[in-house]
Amino acid sequence: MELARPVEMVLAHGVGGRQDLPIPFEAAVAGAAVALVVSFAALGFAWREPRLAGVPSYLGRSSSWVPQAVGLVVAAYFCVGLLFGPDTPDNPTAGVFYVLFWVGLVPLSLVFGPIWRNFNPLRTLHRLACALLRRDPDQGWRRLSPRVGYWPATAGLLAFVWLELVAPDRATLPVISLWLALYVVATLTGAAIYGAQWFDKGDAFEAYSTLIGSLSPITRVPPPASRKAKARSAASTNPRSKGGKSTDRAKRAPGTRSGNAYKLAWRNPLDGMAGLAYAPGLPALVIVLLGSTMYDSVSNAPVWVQFVQESDLPAPLMGTFGLLAVIGLVLALFLGATTWAARLGGATPATTAGELAHSLVPIAVGYLVAHYFTLFLFEGQHTLALLSDPLDTGANWLGTANWTLQSMGATPASIAMLQVTVIVIGHVLGTVLAHDRALTLFPHRTAVVGQIPLMALMVIYTVAGLLFLFAT
Amino acid sequence: MKSLIAIFACVVLAVTGCSASGDPATFSGPAKEITVTIAGGSVNPPPGRVEVAKGQQVKIVVTSDVPDELHVHGYDMSAGLQPNTPATVEFVADRDGLFEVETHDSEMQLFQLQVQ
Repeated sequence: MELARPVEMVLAHGVGGRQDLPIPFEAAVAGAAVALVVSFAALGFAWREPRLAGVPSYLGRSSSWVPQAVGLVVAAYFCVGLLFGPDTPDNPTAGVFYVLFWVGLVPLSLVFGPIWRNFNPLRTLHRLACALLRRDPDQGWRRLSPRVGYWPATAGLLAFVWLELVAPDRATLPVISLWLALYVVATLTGAAIYGAQWFDKGDAFEAYSTLIGSLSPITRVPPPASRKAKARSAASTNPRSKGGKSTDRAKRAPGTRSGNAYKLAWRNPLDGMAGLAYAPGLPALVIVLLGSTMYDSVSNAPVWVQFVQESDLPAPLMGTFGLLAVIGLVLALFLGATTWAARLGGATPATTAGELAHSLVPIAVGYLVAHYFTLFLFEGQHTLALLSDPLDTGANWLGTANWTLQSMGATPASIAMLQVTVIVIGHVLGTVLAHDRALTLFPHRTAVVGQIPLMALMVIYTVAGLLFLFAT
Repeated sequence: MKSLIAIFACVVLAVTGCSASGDPATFSGPAKEITVTIAGGSVNPPPGRVEVAKGQQVKIVVTSDVPDELHVHGYDMSAGLQPNTPATVEFVADRDGLFEVETHDSEMQLFQLQVQ
């Protein structure tokens, strides 16, 4: 397989020339059937008391300089291609941004937790600037109101998915540079005004990594000597954490140590997910993530392509409408189901929506993996090869320039199997999370009946996801 | 509950595994010819999917009323389009997947090539 492409080709569209084949009909039906069975099993046979406790992620507020330095160096290397490379398909910038970074953050966060906060070069730049000015990075000019929550990150995420899926010439350097410049200015301004905590829920990529990283299977436990104090501080940063119980629940892996004298330990990913603290805007953040990935599927359907091309409106405008319509539909379904659940279960609708938003994260992650796995596999290799020569001068700086694409055992059949499997696993985890949270939200008497709309919602999302994979 | 998840994961693997067919053998049949006309900013036939077998010879003939460039995504085949002059791209579809065939200046999708 040749990696070289004609240089004169214009990058009018997103990255990646190949898309997955539709999954077989039997696989879609099988996945949907399993999702239904799981939902009813969860209603009928699952536990009657809430069992999931918030267990914090392994990567917390690390101040180790190693990841910060790595983040700066990698970002600087990225800027070589972005600022000085030619605007051709042989420039790795689009691939690095959309594939290695955006899609690559999914597996990295799934394994290690909210990893981006430790590497985020903007966080490091802010810290360095504060050191030069002899200011405390955590101390801003103004206090950030807790009511702001995840809304800035949601706006940032919406801006990113619009760039990734709709923007004209989105794989070209001027468009990527303009978007990144606006993002950098907005983020650093936020940090300058509100201090480093702005990054937590204001930076779209940190919030994205936090959502996915909540499913990471590793946690950390304080060293025995200072265990009491650390457990208390962990509990105070994490409202869902039930005191010392969380550390007792985690099985410690012997012989592993982290740089912060915390010990690496295993946790149930569901405990981590249940520990994602609610903040305003959380449901919108999760739904933008899920809805935008679904739009990416829909926009590939020949019906939609025909509709856009035959319309008198410009394609980017139609794409914007389409993106907002799919996100709006996913949001309307969520709000409808949680309001109905609140009525049946005897809780307030606003609290119910906020408290159940975390249960959509595994569904969104399942769909992200199903949708982007092969893009990451093939375009990721391609980008790594291009990265050796960001200026297109025939250089081989990283020794990867002559890589040829390896299929890594990915056949249409194995890809389809993986897609259905991850979507169904996402559904199972979401169902379990919603069930557990319903037990704390609703009175005992109404807890089971209150879950019916939530189960229906998840079945709709899952079946819709499978249908998109089958039909597009 | 962990075991519950593991069981369901196994069920899915088993079920979807059954429906998975083997790798298609190399195709040695006739070439697939696809003819598309672009006139007045609309594509005829309208954009849809064209299925070919992996290994099949594909011949794409495109006639446009304006100068443009034809591009087959993924295979990275290109051809210049002169007004009202048919341009041809021919290749062996040796990679499976879904590939967009489009014009670059007018940014229109002509069809999607489904290779399996």
